[in-house]
Amino acid sequence: MSKRDNNMQMEHTLTLNIPFATSKQADIACQVLRPDPILRPQDFQVKYTSKGNELVMEFQSIDDRVLRVGVSSVIDSVKTIIETFDELE
Amino acid sequence: MVNLNGVKPKNGRNYYIALGLEGSANKLGIGVIKQPLLDSTLTGDNSHDCHTEILANIRDTYVTPPGEGFLPRDTARHHKNWCVRLIKKALAEAKIENPSIDIDVICFTQGPGMGAPLHSVVIAARTCSLIWDVPLIGVNHCVGHIEMGREITKAVNPVVLYVSGGNTQVIAYSENRYRIFGETLDIAIGNCLDRFARTLKIPNIPFPGYNIEQMAKKAQHKDNLVLLPYTVKGMDLSMSGILAFIDGLAKDLFKKNKKNKFLFDSKTGEQLITVEDLCFALQENLFAMLVEITERAMAHVNSNQVLIVGGVGSNLRLQEMMGQMCADRANGKVHATDERFCIDNGVMIAQAGLLQYRMGDVITDLADTVVTQKFRTDEVYVSWRE
Repeated sequence: MSKRDNNMQMEHTLTLNIPFATSKQADIACQVLRPDPILRPQDFQVKYTSKGNELVMEFQSIDDRVLRVGVSSVIDSVKTIIETFDELE
Repeated sequence: MVNLNGVKPKNGRNYYIALGLEGSANKLGIGVIKQPLLDSTLTGDNSHDCHTEILANIRDTYVTPPGEGFLPRDTARHHKNWCVRLIKKALAEAKIENPSIDIDVICFTQGPGMGAPLHSVVIAARTCSLIWDVPLIGVNHCVGHIEMGREITKAVNPVVLYVSGGNTQVIAYSENRYRIFGETLDIAIGNCLDRFARTLKIPNIPFPGYNIEQMAKKAQHKDNLVLLPYTVKGMDLSMSGILAFIDGLAKDLFKKNKKNKFLFDSKTGEQLITVEDLCFALQENLFAMLVEITERAMAHVNSNQVLIVGGVGSNLRLQEMMGQMCADRANGKVHATDERFCIDNGVMIAQAGLLQYRMGDVITDLADTVVTQKFRTDEVYVSWRE
């Protein structure tokens, strides 16, 4: 399957903006999430950026089920990051 | 020459502090250790004698009901729930007030293990590293066990028997690698014991292998050992067939299948063996296989010491059988540790990670912190030994 076909099929998208206390925290969250590879890149993609004190996560997926599962696992990681900020910073 | 003092402790201190995070299976372990800056580690081969002081060693185990094993998803959820709280508790116990100043390095398990639980822990490790501005080190779980065992027992160059729920390996050091001399071809020994415990529906507290060990002590027909397949394949082992066989025996015993002539007298129908006898036979059989390949590895590398590490290593019967084998060899000696260090813990990750750190091996790009389910013991370059 060519790359162009993939992009065309990634019709299901979601963007989440998560506000943090500071822009440094948003930047750290972004750096923590970014390294992990996506297991099935042809089905699911995510882009992390930080804008001011917001973490912006843009998800793309081939169907709503894969999107839901992928997003929920990322949210679990974000919860750990926020808890670390709250308890250990 | 190995110089462990190349990288100096932070802020002109005369000691190093490392935080270790372990979560490759159902145990979540956080440890804090302290190593003084010694003259003896400036040259020579003294990585087994770093005078490590344990400031905190806490563990929380995800325990499943009898008859059930731990699944990656649920284990990952457990680790996520407890990780930050446990780190906080460990820092308090170690009396670390300002981690940015007081901690030299954060060490985490990079593999091998279950993917999801490993990932839960590395997320916390990366976040701590960035907020405190403390470097990160990824540690091979097996190397963690070996280094902790060496530090506790002061064994200089032992043959290592690494036996746990996920691994069964006979390892010896040669030219900067821990080389695998023999290993399981299918399931790990701890997995074999755990799964038999599930068949018997015995509790998973404190851990299944312990309960099998206690039951084996109560065996009534020790002199009439139940015969099980003995599956040593050269330097390797196979255990799945043994498990299937003994599972079958246990099920026949529960169903009172009188046709099974191993279990019931064919004439009178009298029960000949008990569940305890099965536990005893399983332990004797598996441990005999381990002792055999360990002895062969010792002969190969001309060593007279054995170090047993990993969760199954806390089994006293295994330690006893290994001791008997070593007693027959010139100056033979078994080194083993208790459950605090045998069973997965954070301290061992801190120990191996701190050795790596002191040799200047540190992660500069977070892309190198990705965890991996498969990470063989011999992939690690052991720079801290000659």
